[in-house]
Amino acid sequence: MNFELLAQLTITGVVLGSFYALMGMSFGIVYQTSKIFHLANAIPFAAAGFAAVWSAETFHLPMFGAFVVGLLVAVIFGLLILVLGYFPLINRNATLLSLFLVSLGVTVAFPNLLQIVFGTQNKTLQVYGADGTLNRAFETQVYNVGFLTITQLDIIKIIVCWLVVLCVVLFVNKTRFGRSITALRTNPTMAAAVGINSKVVYIVVFAIGSLIAGMGGLFVTTEFVAYPTMALQWTLIGFIAVFFGGIGSLPGTALGGLLLGLVSSWSSVWLGVQFAPVVVFGALFIILLVRPQGLFGKAAA
Amino acid sequence: MAYYGQIAINILILLSLSVSLNLLLGYAGRVSMAQSILFGVGAFTAARLVLPKLTDTYNANVSGVGYGMGWPWWAALLGAIVVTFIAALVISLPAVRQVKGEYLILLTLAFQLGGQQVMTVWEAVTGGPFGVAGIPAIKIGSMSFSTVKADSTVRFAILMLIVTVIVIAVCWGIGESPFGRLLKTLREQESVLPSVGKSPIRPELLTFGITAGIAGGIGALFAFSQGAMTPVNFGLDLSILIVSVVVLGGVGNIFGTIVGAIILGGLDPILSNTVGADAIPWRAVIYGGALVVMMMVRPQGLIPEGAFRRFKKGKSTEEMTPAEAMESLSRVSATHEVGSAPALEVYGLKKSFGGLVAVGGASFTIAEGKITALIGPNGAGKTTIFNMITGTFKPDEGTVKLFGEDITGLSVVDIANKGIARSFQDVRICEQMTVLDNVAVAVPKQAGEGLTNLIFRPLKTRKVERATRERALECLALFGISDKANDLVGELSYGDQKLVAIARLLATDADVLLLDEPTSGVDPANVEGVMQGVRRLRDLGRTVCLVEHSVHFVQQLADRAVFLDQGIVLAEGTVDELINQQELADLYFGS
Repeated sequence: MNFELLAQLTITGVVLGSFYALMGMSFGIVYQTSKIFHLANAIPFAAAGFAAVWSAETFHLPMFGAFVVGLLVAVIFGLLILVLGYFPLINRNATLLSLFLVSLGVTVAFPNLLQIVFGTQNKTLQVYGADGTLNRAFETQVYNVGFLTITQLDIIKIIVCWLVVLCVVLFVNKTRFGRSITALRTNPTMAAAVGINSKVVYIVVFAIGSLIAGMGGLFVTTEFVAYPTMALQWTLIGFIAVFFGGIGSLPGTALGGLLLGLVSSWSSVWLGVQFAPVVVFGALFIILLVRPQGLFGKAAA
Repeated sequence: MAYYGQIAINILILLSLSVSLNLLLGYAGRVSMAQSILFGVGAFTAARLVLPKLTDTYNANVSGVGYGMGWPWWAALLGAIVVTFIAALVISLPAVRQVKGEYLILLTLAFQLGGQQVMTVWEAVTGGPFGVAGIPAIKIGSMSFSTVKADSTVRFAILMLIVTVIVIAVCWGIGESPFGRLLKTLREQESVLPSVGKSPIRPELLTFGITAGIAGGIGALFAFSQGAMTPVNFGLDLSILIVSVVVLGGVGNIFGTIVGAIILGGLDPILSNTVGADAIPWRAVIYGGALVVMMMVRPQGLIPEGAFRRFKKGKSTEEMTPAEAMESLSRVSATHEVGSAPALEVYGLKKSFGGLVAVGGASFTIAEGKITALIGPNGAGKTTIFNMITGTFKPDEGTVKLFGEDITGLSVVDIANKGIARSFQDVRICEQMTVLDNVAVAVPKQAGEGLTNLIFRPLKTRKVERATRERALECLALFGISDKANDLVGELSYGDQKLVAIARLLATDADVLLLDEPTSGVDPANVEGVMQGVRRLRDLGRTVCLVEHSVHFVQQLADRAVFLDQGIVLAEGTVDELINQQELADLYFGS
C-alpha cells in the first residue's frame, strides 16, 4: 500500500471517526444516565435536518438561522419523547424492555410521518443571503494540501465534534450538575436520598443528547441532503461507539468512535467502501465477544 | 380468489415469523431485531440452492435469471433452515459471555442493518439491488405451489396455512415444555438456573437457533412462492413489525400473536384500498403507534401470558399433608453415603474486593444432617462466604471441600450438581410463573429439557414430566403450600414466596442447602412457618447452613453456630454457648 493512500484514508477516517464520536456523545450521555436504549435518538437527528431545510425555504433564513431552528426543534422533539413517552413508564417502574419498545415504536413511526408530510424526495438545504435573496445549494470549499484533499466542511466537522466531546466530558466530570448525573447513574436510591431530582437530571441529559443528535442531523443535511430515513444508521453508529468504547466512559466512547472511523476507512483498501458498515458491526461483535465491557470500560465486579 | 390468497399468504408469513419470535421474546425474554434479515438469509440461501446449475445448456445471462446448485426444493428448504440456524448461533455467541439485554438488542440490530448492506452489495448471492428472479416453485407431482398463477396461489395459501399450523404447534410445544420452563426462568431470574445446576447458555442459544431456523424455513417458502425477490423485502421495518405483532398480541402467549398478526397483517389490504400510495408509511405509523399505546395502557398485550390458566386449573391433586410428603420424599435417597467426612469443610477462605477485605481466612466445618447457622454482625462476610462456596465468587485463597472432595474454583453449575444448592437474600422467584413451575424447574435430570427428547421420545418425556410435577408437588406439600401450586408466585405473600424458594432448593436433590436469610422480610405471623420448613429439611436428612440475623430464630433452630466478624471465624459451638460469651454478644448486639 502506498503512503499517499494511507494518509488520505487516515484523514477520511478521522473525519468519519469524529462524527462517530459526536454520535457516541449524543447517545452516551443519555444511556449512561437513564439506561434507556434510546433508539428514538434518531428523531431529533432527522427533525433537525428537516426543520433547517424547511425554515430556510419558508422564511428565507440565512444558514445560521436555519441551524438554530433545527437545533431548537431537535431539543423539543427529544424532550417530547422523554416527557410523553418515557416518564409515564418510568413512573410506574416499567422494565427497560418496555421503554425500549416505546422507543422502537416512535422510531419506526417518525420517518414515515415525515414521508407522509414532506414526501419521499430528498431535501437540499438552500442557502439564503442575509438580505433573504441569494438562493443556492450549499457548497463547501475543497483544499488540496500536497497530495491530500480535505474540505472546509470536514475541518469544521472535526473541530465541532471534538469541542462537543470536550464540553460534554467537562460538564459531566467537573460541574456540580455533572456530579449529580454520576450519582444518579451509580446509585439512584442514594441520589434520591440526597435530594437529586432524577426527572430534572433526565430532562437536562435528554436536552443535551438531542441537541448533539440535532447537530449530527445538520451536518448530514449540509453535506448531503435531508431524507426521512436519514437518522437510523447514524444513531446506531452512536450506540456502537458507546458499547465499543465502554459504557459509562464518555472519553472511552469518543476514542472508540474515532477508532471505528479509522478502522472502517482503512478497511476500504481491501473491502470496498460499501462494506464500511459491515466492518463497524464486525468490530463491535468481536469486542463484545472478547471484552464485553468495551474497549475502555471497567470490568464489572 | 388470487387476491385474497395473496393477502392470506402475507398474513400467514407474518404470523409464522411472529410466533417463532414469541418463543425468543416471550418465553426467553430476549429481544431480536434481526428476524427479518434471518428470514431473508433463508430466502436467498434457498434460492441459490434451488436454482439450476450453470451449464452449457442453461446460461444464466441468456435466460436473465440467476443460477445455483440445482437442489430439489425440499433439500433447499432444509439447507435454508440449517444455514439460518447456524447464523443465529453465531450472532448470539456473545451471550455466552453474559452479554445480555441491551447488548443483544444492539447486536441483532447491527446484524439486521449490516445484513441489509451485505445483501445489497453481494451480487454473487443476492443479485444486488435487483435481487434474484426465476426461482422455481415447489412442485409435488404435477401440482405447483406459487403466487405466479391464480390457481397455484390458492394452493400455496393452503400449504402456507398447514405450515403455519405446524409452526404454531412446534412453538407451543417447546414453550409449554420443561424446556420452555427453563426459558421462562431464564427470562425472570437468570441466576436461578445455574444455582440449581442447569446451564442457561444451552437453552438460550438453542432458542435463538430455533427462532431463526423457523424464519429461514419460512424465507425459503417465500422465495419459492414469489419466484423473485430483492433485499428490500427483508428490511428493518419488517423486523419491527414482527416485534410489534408479538407485543401487541401479548408476549409469552402464542394465541395473542395469532390475533396480533391478523390485526397488523390485515392493515395492509385495508390501507391500500383506502389511502392508496401512502399505505406503506401509514402502516408503519400505525404499528409504531400501536406499540407505544400498548406499552402505555396495556403492556401485557391483548391476550396476556397465562390468560387461559384459570380455565385449565386441571384436576385438583389430592391434598397431601406435610407428613405424607415427608414420607414420600424420604424415599429419595441422599446421593452421598453417610460417612465420616463432614458435609462441608472450609479452609482459610479469603476474598477481598479492591482493598477491602471481605473474608480474611475463614475456616469452619458443617456437620452432616445438622442445621448450622453463620452469625455475626453486618459486614462479617457471611454472604460472601456463601458466594465462594457456591462458586459465584472465586476465592483469593483457601479451599472448599464437599464430603471430602475439593470443589474450589468449580463453576456454579458444577457445584450445584455436586450437591450444594442455595437460596438468595432477595428470594429470586419467578413472579410470572406458577408456584409449581418455580419448583419443578429445579428437579434434576428432566428428559423434557432436551429438545431431542421432546421430538423423538414424547412418551418418555411426558412420563418424566408427570414424575417431575409430582415431585415438585411433594416439595410444596412439605411446606403446606401445595394448594397454591397453580397460583402465580407474584400473587403470594412474601412469607409464602420464601417457602417457594426453599421448596425449590429441596427439589434439587442437593445434600447441602445454603439458606441466605430465610426469614428476613417475613412478617412475624409467617416466621413460624418458615422455621418449621427449615426443620423439615433437616428431618429429611439434608445438611442445612443458614445465614440469619434473628437471634431468636437461630436459637430455636440451629444445632450449631459459627460466629464471624470482619471475615474471620471468632468461635464455633452451640448457639447458647456463643450467645453466652459476653464479648460475642457485645459484638452482635452492640455493647
